[in-house]
Amino acid sequence: MTVPALRKGDLLRMAARASLLQATWNYERQQGLGWAFALAPALRRFLPERAERCERLAEHTSYFNTQPTLASLALGAVAALEQQRADTGQPDADGMRRVKHVLGSTLAALGDRMFWLTLRPLAACLGLILAIGGSPAGAAVLWVCYNAMHQSLRLAGVFWGYRLGPKVLSGELRPRLERLVHAWAIIGAAAVGSIVALLLVPGGTPRPLAFQLVLACGLGLGLVAAQRVRPSPTEWALGAGVLCLILAWHP
Amino acid sequence: MIPEVLGTVLLGGVGALDATPVGQTLLSQPLVTAALLGALWHDMPVALAVGVVLQILAASTLPVGARTPEDYAVGGVVGTGLALLLASQVSFTIARDGCALLGVFAGMIAATSGVPLLKWQRRQHEGLSRWCEDELRAGNEAALGQCQAAGVGLAFGVGVSYSAACLGLGTLLLMGLARTESVWLSRAWTLAQPLWIGLGLAQLLHAFVQRRLLRVGVFAAALFLTWLLLMSGAS
Repeated sequence: MTVPALRKGDLLRMAARASLLQATWNYERQQGLGWAFALAPALRRFLPERAERCERLAEHTSYFNTQPTLASLALGAVAALEQQRADTGQPDADGMRRVKHVLGSTLAALGDRMFWLTLRPLAACLGLILAIGGSPAGAAVLWVCYNAMHQSLRLAGVFWGYRLGPKVLSGELRPRLERLVHAWAIIGAAAVGSIVALLLVPGGTPRPLAFQLVLACGLGLGLVAAQRVRPSPTEWALGAGVLCLILAWHP
Repeated sequence: MIPEVLGTVLLGGVGALDATPVGQTLLSQPLVTAALLGALWHDMPVALAVGVVLQILAASTLPVGARTPEDYAVGGVVGTGLALLLASQVSFTIARDGCALLGVFAGMIAATSGVPLLKWQRRQHEGLSRWCEDELRAGNEAALGQCQAAGVGLAFGVGVSYSAACLGLGTLLLMGLARTESVWLSRAWTLAQPLWIGLGLAQLLHAFVQRRLLRVGVFAAALFLTWLLLMSGAS
């Protein structure tokens, strides 16, 4: 028996459902439930028998976790494996779990660095360049910069994953994404430099020396704080804020 | 003022959805919500003053792995919303600076205090996912969609309720302070704003540079060139 391949509509439905990957995130199974929900359109195509499909969906609600955007690649790859499983009976449930685990951890390592450590701060910096000058367009810049990459990868990832299967990261894709992260980090460093200059001399008029000194203090404090995970930047900022309230007190 | 407050509270719910359960499009980032709230309250300067500081701090807060980071989705809405609400009740410019300061404080406190609520939601989902697996094994395929809808509904409800509670409490506690201590708060804002911005920017720089000399050079070159460009443009 030959199992029908996924149609474009199925893959698009999977990509759309991947937006809800973390809707029921929990400590026990993390993205497990969202993963099964996103994979359901593929299983509906491969397993017409309801009881078998429900059993397979239940199997997929087990532990899974990765970076939510790049999860699309794993979704496509596992859909390809599910097609093979429906056709030949291989891989079995244990094999499938192993593939999911490897894909999940590899994509998390790449995705966390790509999205949380680089693209999100970069988009924020590009938005801040405008917002510091008083333009609300900075918010739009932040949103568009991030989503151009985030939504494209979420959508295309399912298609790539399905086409290439579990080998999706062993080809040219991974080095390309690594190079992209490197380029974004360089642009990010330049953006922070530009923001500092914009704060020091907005419109070419230097700020008062006191402002420049306090900004430099903040930068120094931030670099020291960045060497440790705890206290968090917010806890540092709260402490610094209270200190400013005390210093500004003049009865 | 009631439509503005209602809009702010609803945006808190939307932010809570966008941050983790639905989409992760960064609509929940403080700068984006601040611009939306600035348009809603017709006061962009105060909204952006608060939004910029909270955005810099939020960008250096990372949701890596299973760590529950500070909830800047709701924190951003509460901080900016409260600053706008207080600023709408005062008339002097100096008092508006004080409102911005109180807004940033409220945003940071709301973001930090929101973490136990996020953890509580995640624990609720554990029971939901066990129920879902049982239902699936019993042949109820619709259980998966029902669980997802419940997760989304819970996040929205918690976001709206928490934003409303923080705004209410913040107004109650801080309105008097904003009206009577505007000089003190304004002086504190002139100190705290650059300190907070510097602190957050350093965290971002650290994330980008990763101890690579080339990137330090790029940062320094960009700083110098932008400074030169601004100075030569002004002269």
